[in-house]
Amino acid sequence: AAFGLYFPRKEYFENVYIDQPAGTPLLRIHALRDSHGEVARFHLCQNPISSRARPLENHWFQIREKTGLLYLSKSLDREDFNMLPVGNRMLLSKVKLRVFLSPHPFQEKECDSATCPMCPTIFLSLINATAPACSSLTARQLCFTEMDLSFHIKENKPPGTFHQLQLPSVHHLCQNLSISYKLLAAEGMPFRYNENTTGVSVTQRLDREERERYELIAKCTVREGLREMQVEVPFLVNVLDEDDSPPFLPNGTDTADAVVEFNRKEGTVLATLTVYDADTTPIYPPESRKKYTGTIITDDPWISETFRVEHVFDEIHFSPNGSQVRGTQHEYKLVLNKNISVTEHRSFQLDVLVNDTEFHGPERSVMLHFNVSILPVSIQFPNMTYQFTVNRNAERFAQIGKVCIENCMKFHGVNLTYKLLSPNVSCYPVSILQGQEGKWGSLYVNDSSVLRRPECKEIQYTIQATDKQSRKHTKTLLTIVLEGTLLKKEEDCPNSCAVSKHRAECEECGGLGVLTGRCQWRQGSGKGITTNYSTCTPSIKTCPDGTCDAIENKDPAVCPQDCTSGNVIGGHGKGTGNLGIKSGHGICYCFPRQNCYCEKDDITEQLCDEVCKTVI
Amino acid sequence: AGQDPPHGWRVAVDCVRANELCAAEPNCSSRYRTLRQCLAGRDRNTMLANKECQAALEVLQESPLYDCRCKRGMKKELQCLQIYWSIHLGLTEGEEFYEASPYEPVTSRLSDIFRLASIFSGMDPATNSKSNHCLDAAKACNLNDNCKRLRSGYISTCSKEISASEHCSRRKCHKALRQFFDRVPSEYTYRLLFCSCKDQACAERRRQTIVPSCSYEDKEKPNCLDLRNTCRTDHLCRSRLADFHTNCQASFQSLTSCPGDNYQACLGSYAGLIGFDMTPNYVDASTTSITISPWCSCKGSGNMEEECEKFLRDFTENPCLRNAIQAFGNGTDVNLSP
Repeated sequence: AAFGLYFPRKEYFENVYIDQPAGTPLLRIHALRDSHGEVARFHLCQNPISSRARPLENHWFQIREKTGLLYLSKSLDREDFNMLPVGNRMLLSKVKLRVFLSPHPFQEKECDSATCPMCPTIFLSLINATAPACSSLTARQLCFTEMDLSFHIKENKPPGTFHQLQLPSVHHLCQNLSISYKLLAAEGMPFRYNENTTGVSVTQRLDREERERYELIAKCTVREGLREMQVEVPFLVNVLDEDDSPPFLPNGTDTADAVVEFNRKEGTVLATLTVYDADTTPIYPPESRKKYTGTIITDDPWISETFRVEHVFDEIHFSPNGSQVRGTQHEYKLVLNKNISVTEHRSFQLDVLVNDTEFHGPERSVMLHFNVSILPVSIQFPNMTYQFTVNRNAERFAQIGKVCIENCMKFHGVNLTYKLLSPNVSCYPVSILQGQEGKWGSLYVNDSSVLRRPECKEIQYTIQATDKQSRKHTKTLLTIVLEGTLLKKEEDCPNSCAVSKHRAECEECGGLGVLTGRCQWRQGSGKGITTNYSTCTPSIKTCPDGTCDAIENKDPAVCPQDCTSGNVIGGHGKGTGNLGIKSGHGICYCFPRQNCYCEKDDITEQLCDEVCKTVI
Repeated sequence: AGQDPPHGWRVAVDCVRANELCAAEPNCSSRYRTLRQCLAGRDRNTMLANKECQAALEVLQESPLYDCRCKRGMKKELQCLQIYWSIHLGLTEGEEFYEASPYEPVTSRLSDIFRLASIFSGMDPATNSKSNHCLDAAKACNLNDNCKRLRSGYISTCSKEISASEHCSRRKCHKALRQFFDRVPSEYTYRLLFCSCKDQACAERRRQTIVPSCSYEDKEKPNCLDLRNTCRTDHLCRSRLADFHTNCQASFQSLTSCPGDNYQACLGSYAGLIGFDMTPNYVDASTTSITISPWCSCKGSGNMEEECEKFLRDFTENPCLRNAIQAFGNGTDVNLSP
């Protein structure tokens, strides 16, 4: 069997004073066994290391190989104090010693934390004074050291003694005092206190999945003649986990349906199955995260290319008998590994083998089943033709409408191209652009001069939508009807609606993107910096709406409120990706390719104040 | 007492200078080159198994490189720390819970800044009960060109939305925060960071000082030991964390719970963590209790839960840090008898 002795603590602390005699006991280390028959042999590494300094040969401290008692083998005088690697930075001078256990003759090179990660470190504080008199010590100092009484014991290991309450140094120094201990709240708990040795032992094998923390109280009574003092401190035992529980399924569920229809994009989570384990799964160190594996069981290369399994885990709590213990919830997600073509059509069962690699038992794995159905989706327009009416006064980049195949808004990972097939007449006022993710097509005026020509009245187009991956395509008819009478163009109007900062000038002018020849005024609420600011826009429906769409993006004069990347002067908030004005103060107006301004428009009222009125 | 360096101890030089001294000496420079090759991409154990590497380490322990330190915000700080860790990573016994700080000890005391804070806090007794010290600190910063420039610099960087999925550039935000805390005098930065509050609006302003939505919070809370490990892979973060542990570690031996009763050193190393993976902040806008934490939890610690809790408690339940922050806010430094 492997050598499995271990320590119930990682750190021990004690004070060392000047001129303490050789032979003074300092503290006792305990080791617990992994299996019966093991014998602990304690060793001290030869290089004590202070908080910061070069290693020094140890002449002062020794440990009893069998009992683990650390003692002074040589009195520390003032000269030693100067020689010892006492850090000049830390106000506390500490000597650090490492204790090792070995079943065989000890080799110094084992003195490395990597070979014994659980081996404890002893910190000895060197106090630049002689040992204090017993009478000057408080009960707290006589009974306990500064370190908390907190221990860890591995589950499923044989019982044994893991601590001694009596402090060897105090016992040695203050022999005329009577110091006795008690362990409170220990009834019914698997711990026993031995009054003769003051040792605390664990009396049975512990099971972390039953209970992982024991909180007791150590009580100490000091008697000196008639005087009696008492101190109580918490005494904690944590139970360390080992992998002794197999995975199990909540409610026995091992099957889930995974349907691929409109969402065919790489990375889509199709279905999730959960596996529980009563053991903990540490996030740190990173290697421990690989304790659980999940593998797709298949011979079909298409399946292994198209799907992957993603594993996430989280700490959960079980309450076996009132007390809470930590466990793990593992989630296995079936994920698309690539975009799936719209023509793909199959169903099959996909099995995933989940393995608890550290559990040594027959039930270390469970099989999860995903019922996968991949349905084809049809690329076709709804059973109708499109008809849009366009005002003859519309300007370039006016948004006419959207065209979209059946269920197009539900699509993910399907990239469609919309195209207009030109009619046989000479009137082509309209073009099409792809909307977001290639889901729809946006129709807009591309040549406004065509709208003005009297011979162009009703134009027939054919729209074609093509799926890029499968080259599947569909067609439908589109009719554009031109209506309205031509308005007289105002002189001195700017190219862009956004330039106007007053309602009057806004509504009497046109600009790029207008639908009826005139810009529209949006009247804001006027309270502070708001998303509902006042502004002049070609169409309130599309601008400003917080997104710079494909058509607005064609020309900075169409909707700088959504698309500007320049400076905005005045109170405002920028939109996503630093584009556009998400919120503004008062009225926001823009000079395309230059700055935007957001300001309260109070000049109109001030134009004629009391003085002015009297003059008039 | 106990603060005087013992006999025979060299005065620490900075590691950049120590490196120059070593380079001038053929034996030292060749050993240093060997050691750096030993440490490159290898762990301590495989390194020490190599005789040549071990010999190099032993020789270098006698060189000025061994005792060298770095200064916060010094020129070539990163280079200095790289030199420091190239020696000390070989010396430490693997993963230590607390590492010694590679920075020179802070000897100056807070007195001046404390006095300033106390002047401000006692400025106008009539409005004192209503006054918002955090707002006053922001006003004071805006009246100083340097403070104002670097503060608006980090605020605009940290609040700039990149895209719908990326709320801000955390990397750039951290860099701007580091510049602010490195280059602006602590009389301004500490007042912003450690102002005392009587109402929630003030405490919320204090919490918002470092723009936590970008610099602090994240989608998920990592495990604290995992976060510490990430921090330790970066020389700067590792050094700042070690500095925090050295200067803010609660001590039973002192009146204030701080090592050497030095509040200034603790506050300085706290501010030194801002802009790194281990960025700490106030967890809420409570006025009665101050709770500080990095963005991590001890969930998923397995058998290392105790160690994780211990690490986290140095932030959340640290009497030294809490006393230092409260003392600064109230303008009451400890009175140390001369």
